Amino acid sequence: MPAVSVDTFFACSLMVIAVLSAMTGASKLLYPYINSSSGQNSAQRYEEISRYLLLNTGKPTNWGQNGQEVPETFGLAKSDSDIPYELDMDKVTRLNVENVYSVSYAELYSSLKLSDVSFRLEIKPIFQVIINLTATFAFTNETTYQFDILTEKQGIAVRSELTCYVIAENYMNNISADAPMGRASWNVTLSNSVRGPALLIVLARSIYDSRIVSFSVCAFAHNSEQPKSVGTFLRLSPLNHVLNASFVDSEVNLSRAYALTFDYDSALTQIVDNNESALYEIPYFLDPSPTIIVLTGWNHSEFFTEWVTYPQVPLQIGVDFANTMSLSNVFSYTYEVTINSAIYECTVLLGGPKD
Amino acid sequence: MKNANIGQIRIIEAFLAVLIIFSAFTVSANLPASRATMKREHLVSTGLHALMKLDEDGSLSRCIINQNFTALRESLSLVLPASVCFNLTVYDEQMRQVNTDVISNGGFSSQDIAFAEYVCASRNTAFRCYVIHLFLAVTA
Repeated sequence: MPAVSVDTFFACSLMVIAVLSAMTGASKLLYPYINSSSGQNSAQRYEEISRYLLLNTGKPTNWGQNGQEVPETFGLAKSDSDIPYELDMDKVTRLNVENVYSVSYAELYSSLKLSDVSFRLEIKPIFQVIINLTATFAFTNETTYQFDILTEKQGIAVRSELTCYVIAENYMNNISADAPMGRASWNVTLSNSVRGPALLIVLARSIYDSRIVSFSVCAFAHNSEQPKSVGTFLRLSPLNHVLNASFVDSEVNLSRAYALTFDYDSALTQIVDNNESALYEIPYFLDPSPTIIVLTGWNHSEFFTEWVTYPQVPLQIGVDFANTMSLSNVFSYTYEVTINSAIYECTVLLGGPKD
Repeated sequence: MKNANIGQIRIIEAFLAVLIIFSAFTVSANLPASRATMKREHLVSTGLHALMKLDEDGSLSRCIINQNFTALRESLSLVLPASVCFNLTVYDEQMRQVNTDVISNGGFSSQDIAFAEYVCASRNTAFRCYVIHLFLAVTA
């Protein structure tokens, strides 16, 4: 091979390498701005949609209060509220599929009026309360149950104050306690003449901010069989400060009803009763706390307790994106929202076709 | 014969050049996009939202006035996602630091730190204004 050809080959190779290096460098620098600009736009769009859901009241503005009404336009904000991200208690309650007045995802999707956007909403307390029954001591006239109560956020202890209620047949007792390091032990002693299953309700409040609350309910056997799952005897649906208790079995007889919050408790007044359901009025409580409503009664000769929270959280509604991640763009946004003066965590997941 | 060899070399050169150009295009098209800017914006938005929630009923300014920075730190830890670490500094109107203690939930292990500034007004009869500087990062 002549020397001139070798020179030309090396010269051309160097030029090509130089040009390619420049191209690669330039494209690496510009790639985020050029190629992901559409991704950034869609992320921005989805973020605005998530805010829209939580900052707008929807149409009509009070669609949550009427159990038969389907919103024309979807929005969860409380009407006439000065607080940003304050959600309407009844609109949130109607997102829970356990509620007889719930709005289906198909109806919500239509009312959002965005055909290329699917969504999922999750609302839950900011931290968790975990109740563990650690020991049972049976005596002649009474039985003592030892509970371990943990308050934590993703494994990190939350210092909190506790209010615990115990409910059984014709029995209601409450006690206040502290969980200074996110942990408390508590003994419940019940007379053996009291019929179960019993219910332990724990409401927890952060010692640093009274609006950060959480709760948990634990049913345990006492003079009875193992408690049945929630909804076996009654379907409880609170809405617009009225509780609808639909009987699952026609032999159900209701005895007592309680509304419990962190600071207050009250017996509920029955306003309507028939063979299929009963209605109770739910009082307006002032403290920033979810209201736990407990109904006790008999089904044939079996005593039962049923409970529900108002607002009916935690809840999840919408599309399950777990299996569609590879086919669509899914964005998740978490907000702290106010419902009835208490702070909850709301996660909005939005997805659409990949760009 | 000599001219024919030159022609072959040129063809090989051109072929190699085309190969290199296409491989460069292929490599550059698959380079991962840097989403650092988006992540940072999202962190700022999360931080501001958390401060706004705490300020909703005046508890943020109350903590500052009462010098209860432990309550401020714990409340912020609760409302921010568990994966976010923060460092907060409170300044008065003259930009003098108000907090003597460090208000933080741990050291930053990430290089990608977001900054948010929030202005908080007291709700007392004696009006005071505070500037809050919040640094945020996602824990590794």
